[in-house]
Amino acid sequence: MAYEPQADFGTPQVASETRVTLTIDGRSVTVPQGTSLMRAAALTGGSIPKLCASDNLAAFGSCRLCLVEVDGMRGTPASCTTPAAEGMTVHTQTPRLQKLRRGVMELYISDHPLDCLTCSANNDCELQDQAAAVGLRDVRFGYAGENHLGLAADTSNPYFDFDPSKCIACSRCVRACDEVQGTFALTMDGRGFASKISAGQAGDDFLSSECVSCGACVQACPTATLQEKAVKEIGKPERSVITTCAYCGVGCTFRAEMRGEQLVRMVPWKDGKANHGHSCVKGRFAWGYAQHKDRITAPMIRESIDQPWREVSWDEALGFAASRLQSIKAQYGARALGGITSSRCTNEETFLVQKLVRAGFGTNNVDTCARVCHSPTGYGLKTTFGTSAGTQDFDSVEHSDVILVIGANPTDAHPVFASRMKRRLRKGAKLIVIDPRRIDLVRSAHIAAEYHLPLQPGTNVAVLTAMAHVIVTEGLADEAFIRERCDWDEYQDWARFVSDERHSPEVLEAVSRVPAADLRAAARLFATGGNGAIYYGLGVTEHSQGSSTVMAIANLAMATGNVGRPGVGVNPLRGQNNVQGACDMGSFPHELSGYRHISDTATRALFEADWGVTLDPEPGLRIPNMLDAAVDGSFRAIYIQGEDILQSDPNTHHVAAGLKAMDCVIVHDLFLNETANYAHVFLPGSTFLEKTGTFTNAERRIQMVRKVMEPANGMEDWQVTQALANAMGLGWNYTHPSQIMDEVARLTPSFAGVSHARLDEAGSLQWPVNEAHPDGSPIMHEAGFANGKGKFVVTDYVPTDEKTGPRFPLLLTTGRILSHYNVGAQTRRTANTAWHPEDLLEMHPTDAENRGLKSGDWTRLASRTGETTLRLLVTDRVAPGVVYTTFHHPATQANVVTTEFSDWATNCPEYKVTAVQVMASNGPTDWQEDYEALSARSRRIAPEIPAEAAE
Amino acid sequence: MDVAHLTLMANQIARNFAVQGDERAAAATAEHITLFWDPRMKAAIRAGGGADLSPIAAAALSRLD
Amino acid sequence: MNRSARLVEIVAAHAGREGPLLPLLHEVQAEFGCVDGEAEAQLAHALNLSRAEVHGVVSFYHDFTATADPRPCVQLCRAEACQARGVEALVPAAQAAAGGRVKLHDVYCLGLCSVGPNARVGDQLYARLDQGSLVELIERA
Repeated sequence: MAYEPQADFGTPQVASETRVTLTIDGRSVTVPQGTSLMRAAALTGGSIPKLCASDNLAAFGSCRLCLVEVDGMRGTPASCTTPAAEGMTVHTQTPRLQKLRRGVMELYISDHPLDCLTCSANNDCELQDQAAAVGLRDVRFGYAGENHLGLAADTSNPYFDFDPSKCIACSRCVRACDEVQGTFALTMDGRGFASKISAGQAGDDFLSSECVSCGACVQACPTATLQEKAVKEIGKPERSVITTCAYCGVGCTFRAEMRGEQLVRMVPWKDGKANHGHSCVKGRFAWGYAQHKDRITAPMIRESIDQPWREVSWDEALGFAASRLQSIKAQYGARALGGITSSRCTNEETFLVQKLVRAGFGTNNVDTCARVCHSPTGYGLKTTFGTSAGTQDFDSVEHSDVILVIGANPTDAHPVFASRMKRRLRKGAKLIVIDPRRIDLVRSAHIAAEYHLPLQPGTNVAVLTAMAHVIVTEGLADEAFIRERCDWDEYQDWARFVSDERHSPEVLEAVSRVPAADLRAAARLFATGGNGAIYYGLGVTEHSQGSSTVMAIANLAMATGNVGRPGVGVNPLRGQNNVQGACDMGSFPHELSGYRHISDTATRALFEADWGVTLDPEPGLRIPNMLDAAVDGSFRAIYIQGEDILQSDPNTHHVAAGLKAMDCVIVHDLFLNETANYAHVFLPGSTFLEKTGTFTNAERRIQMVRKVMEPANGMEDWQVTQALANAMGLGWNYTHPSQIMDEVARLTPSFAGVSHARLDEAGSLQWPVNEAHPDGSPIMHEAGFANGKGKFVVTDYVPTDEKTGPRFPLLLTTGRILSHYNVGAQTRRTANTAWHPEDLLEMHPTDAENRGLKSGDWTRLASRTGETTLRLLVTDRVAPGVVYTTFHHPATQANVVTTEFSDWATNCPEYKVTAVQVMASNGPTDWQEDYEALSARSRRIAPEIPAEAAE
Repeated sequence: MDVAHLTLMANQIARNFAVQGDERAAAATAEHITLFWDPRMKAAIRAGGGADLSPIAAAALSRLD
Repeated sequence: MNRSARLVEIVAAHAGREGPLLPLLHEVQAEFGCVDGEAEAQLAHALNLSRAEVHGVVSFYHDFTATADPRPCVQLCRAEACQARGVEALVPAAQAAAGGRVKLHDVYCLGLCSVGPNARVGDQLYARLDQGSLVELIERA
């Protein structure tokens, strides 16, 4: 696609059934009632000059450039604020209008530098375009008068500059921050001629203000006032490719704007159905890791992990890997081998890795990083609803009246969706937050939760059961829905269980520490407040009862009739870009693509016929079981694509021991990650910018990932997997990832209608896409549950075995921060570190005072499993008795302290509850120091020409 | 495989099904282990003697052929 | 009582009021002689607004100042109608009378156009000023 900015219709689309027909410049046009004249004109191909209008912002009417004449109407109304009416006759270009517009433009230009040729927005500037459009030839006022041309630029943000000397005070940035992002970080300072855009207050700059660097203001700016630093450095892009972001599960689509092979900027795509033209600091700006100097682009091998790496050819690396795998298989059997697929990679790549393991290695020992995040979602929603996926699309939130957020922190972890949610909340939807920590959604500019239930970590099931107790015992359940859509007997069993007095909020308050009155009020609100939608994240799943909590959430949704239409539903907010897809593609050891159990003979037969192999009917090992088996000696080789289990999985010592015990660890990644410290083969990976395929986001939306540049390592990841398969003699011959998707479609009923061609045509598709739903399924279970009837599952609260006591009196829970992503492998290699250079431990002031600690102090964080050090942040965001940290930095090694306790059904680690003690510390622990030394030793790469022995 | 760890896992599964009553819980636990455990895990826990297994978990394991 | 605690009281006094920001700002300005950055931030937090929003409002209105000025203030209208009625000729004498002791604040229209030149001290308006009465007003301020 050539580079041209996306069309801007000036004012937002209006949803109205009533249509009006009017005439604009002689052309007849019919539009929904309420549409502005500006938009109506744009829809007919016209373009009325404008500066302050943009179709993602409410009409403002300040620039006075979009004036029109309307027959029978006095004056020259602004077309952005004048709605189209039946029978109107509008003229957008008359001598009178021309004169007025020129006059207005003269005033703008009289206070704007005339440095177009050297300006970074040259030829990509709305002001320039509009000056041309109004035929500006002269500025009568001269440039000698008072002006803003000498104002200094604010370069504090690492990604964009703010140059007020170029500002025309149109307020688009302020409005974008308010309306689109919902942060309200910008304002118009002063009045009249002295007006100027200000981030925060006097003395603030963009970095110190409340700005979250989402980029909405930069996108909104019609001049070079807010401009990406990359554009300043490189120049105007010359082509663009639509692709899908590789950070979180929101799945924003972007235009990757390129100059040659150089990425200039990522601009959110307005037609992206997940993000509708919005972005966050990660997707918009934090892509510099793709070209980071740490990136490894040549394959490397070593005999043992105490040796330095040796760069070798692909053939040698693949041959080395294949022969090790084969000899291990020959000696120990197929079940000694395994693989891990990545939620960071495409569906096609993931499918291929699990195919390599099942068909090539001959074992079902394949798992994926969803094991440590959303595996309970798969189990819980499959059990209750019959399908392992969220029920809604993101647009559904526009129709919600009560939003329940539990164990999720959308403004940090799913920021683009959070902006949508906040917009709905500002329009009046009510919010209930269940979280041990006071997340930003609880209270931030213009948003306040009706109820925040700050539960004790580990008591999700107790709180949800108590909510169910209130709903059932107070007669608030939607019996009509339940009788029609669910198994009535199972409902009655469940209702009897939750109605028991021991599940009342008053009794359970002792366990959960949630005030019973608040809990009752929240339950009533959810049951009676209209469309109720539940959004949840890893604060639900990463517990010893993660699966139970997911089922308890599903029970609550069914009991209140909140399934099967817009505005309601159960919505897991997926952490990674393709965690949904990785699960869909058969990455779990017990099931093939489309969530079909490996023991099912008919399903296996389908794959066996297609692949020409016999599949093991027994489930394989999960990641933690693989590590156990490795220590035990029965699991000896692993192929890990795009996951850093050493940093991301719990109990780092145990992960290290497991990896160390293996004979062959193959790491396929962009960087020498922490896991690679224990690897024998390193296969360089490609970034999402360098490959073609698909990602599936949290709303089951399958979207194209398109290659925008050639892989720095020479191969896309699916090609690497194929080359490894072929080195093992499997004879694969895919020539394009679309062929892999075709294979998925032919083997997976819910993907039957999916192909790259279909996705190119439709933009995106939400599975199931099949005969019954040829265009996909934005909302699931509309007519009935996948199982037929929805299943109520009794979820008994079972306290975790991880308990506080005199030695470990505090509960540690973990989470994320906006500027970083997961283990930070990408974001730590970008300027996002400006916002979060290290992980901090949050502690309540009371606990800090008891320990004589203050913000900034080094503290030792110890659990039964291990200890680490990090610096303290004293804050009342966390309750007394609870401490919180992020896990973005390997130096912190937060997972050294997390335990091996896990979800009973899926072994998803209990990251969210660890009993700990915190005390003052002088510096890093022995483990941190030893690990740093090991890390440095293990990352050595031998020089290309071996040095002569120095004698 | 570490039998103590497998026992912990089996007991945890059994504990979460316990609310269904012993008989159904044992069946559900057995089914869960059949569906989600790798053969060496099943073999190891059955060979492990079942010393610390909860009654439901023990009943479940006795159902595995 | 420190300022922060006093601010909490002021905010509490306006609790439940619709559109409380402007009345609050007036009260803060009257009480502390200014609305500084700290007060802006505290009000933003209390009203669940962003810091920028409050700063935008504070900086828009001349009635709110970022730093306290202990001097008495005389507002002198220099808008068109008062100009037509001769205010410009009074300015040098007014400035001389004000010196460093009184803050002479130009404003544009006090709404008494037919009876200018006009000035305002506190909530009191003065019309039909001539040099003598204006200088006296400033000296008494």
